[in-house]
Amino acid sequence: MIRVEDIHKHFGPLHVLRGITFDVPRAEALVIIGPSGSGKSTLLRCINLLVEPDQGKVFIDGVQVNRSDIRPEWARQQVGMVFQSFNLFTHLTVLDNVTLGPIRVKGMDREAAQEKGKQLLARVGLAPKAHAYPAELSGGQQQRVAIARALAMDPKAILFDEPTSALDPEYIREVLDVMAALARDGMTMVVVTHEMGFASNVAERILFIDAGVIVEEGRPEEIFQHPKHERTRAFVGKILR
Amino acid sequence: MATADATVGRQSGPAWFRPASVRRVAEMVAGGAIFIVALEVFLGYNLLDPALWSLFAPAFWAGILRTLTYIGLVLPLSVGLGFTLGWVRVSRFRALAWPVSVYVEFFRGVPPLVIVLFASILGPNLFPERFQSAELGLILGAFAIGLHSAAFQGEIFRAGFQSVPRGQLDAAQAIGMRPLQAMRSVVLPQALRLSLPPLSNEFAVLIKDTSLMAIIAGGDLFHVSQLFLDQSVLTGTGDLHWLFVVWTAVALVYFVMTFTVTRVMRMVERRYHARGLEGISI
Repeated sequence: MIRVEDIHKHFGPLHVLRGITFDVPRAEALVIIGPSGSGKSTLLRCINLLVEPDQGKVFIDGVQVNRSDIRPEWARQQVGMVFQSFNLFTHLTVLDNVTLGPIRVKGMDREAAQEKGKQLLARVGLAPKAHAYPAELSGGQQQRVAIARALAMDPKAILFDEPTSALDPEYIREVLDVMAALARDGMTMVVVTHEMGFASNVAERILFIDAGVIVEEGRPEEIFQHPKHERTRAFVGKILR
Repeated sequence: MATADATVGRQSGPAWFRPASVRRVAEMVAGGAIFIVALEVFLGYNLLDPALWSLFAPAFWAGILRTLTYIGLVLPLSVGLGFTLGWVRVSRFRALAWPVSVYVEFFRGVPPLVIVLFASILGPNLFPERFQSAELGLILGAFAIGLHSAAFQGEIFRAGFQSVPRGQLDAAQAIGMRPLQAMRSVVLPQALRLSLPPLSNEFAVLIKDTSLMAIIAGGDLFHVSQLFLDQSVLTGTGDLHWLFVVWTAVALVYFVMTFTVTRVMRMVERRYHARGLEGISI
């Protein structure tokens, strides 16, 4: 479903991604872990072209999307994204946040979009909050709205960029539950997270990234219990404690 | 304050037809009446002096009309230009940013009076001879006021744009919006929410700045009043009190014009109101 091939990215003198290649088959949940500054977020942003890779290829559903003859907007419609800081549109109600993309980008009829939006809000457990504004919600609720907003575009996959890192501990569970349910329903997901419980239970595969390269990849139990590389062992040791 | 506004916002019906608004209008009428009576009683001015108004009324109304014309010309011009300047300063087109900053610094630093003078006297020379006329000088003078205000409005819009967090644009792009769509649906409404209060401020200043047209004999309210007083009071044919009565009337007219515009802006502000973002009330 998603394939990145030898991705490189520089920010000025900084060589953030140094040749990353991986595949995410349909309906797989892939978790990416790694220390801060290792390039995880940049890698995620390269997939939906919020960051343009300097070198390498990004494929979505078999189509190379980082080509001059393909609009990046098209690529972004195929792949949803959920951000660490939620980034809900503060001037719109919850329902309008969810329907904005379908109406403006897909040209969907307003009523149909609202009907669908309400269903999606029910799916993330927020039907009663449809007419609230983001600033009136808790962090966990905001992040669930953000997930509904991504789903509203009928994406082929969703990218999660540390979706629980900005949350108070008591709200982390509800967001992870929604994500786990999505994974069960067969959504293709790439998740950058430090939630080891989620990684072990939901992910089929884990990538450990450090200094812009994939150091190790494997099933959760391999990575957490029998890491092969010293750097993986050190990092896993720190986060599992 | 914020809570009170939120309550008003939830009431139904158009803003000008609510009991609260009707009461406010009644208060203003009553206040105006008390003002007139107080002037009469304490200072001996008659704001409605028939002898004065029989002479001055035609010029007064013509002056108001002319001032409104200038405002109608300059306000949209300055908003359009100011918005463009503000956008350019935050846009990806870095090459345009510094000419804009030169523009802003120039017009912020030079007295508008000087700009108006120069624009009306020297400006027409830039046009072919057949277009040159007294009216052209006036139009250019008015434009100059707009250019001056646009510099300030540009900074207001720039601040508005810059106060929208980067993540908002990321999120808009992540659902597949093109840059212009993201601008229209996501960035602009939020930038405006924060630009509107300082913008009403600038509008009030701009409205009163149209009185600078008097220096180039613009025929505006300020100019006709000055002219009238020169020809009546200062030549001895008019009562000395007229001086105060006329300027009081002029001040009232400017007040009503700025008040109307700032009230309209308040209504627009309500439209962009987002619950939960009221900020603090101390």
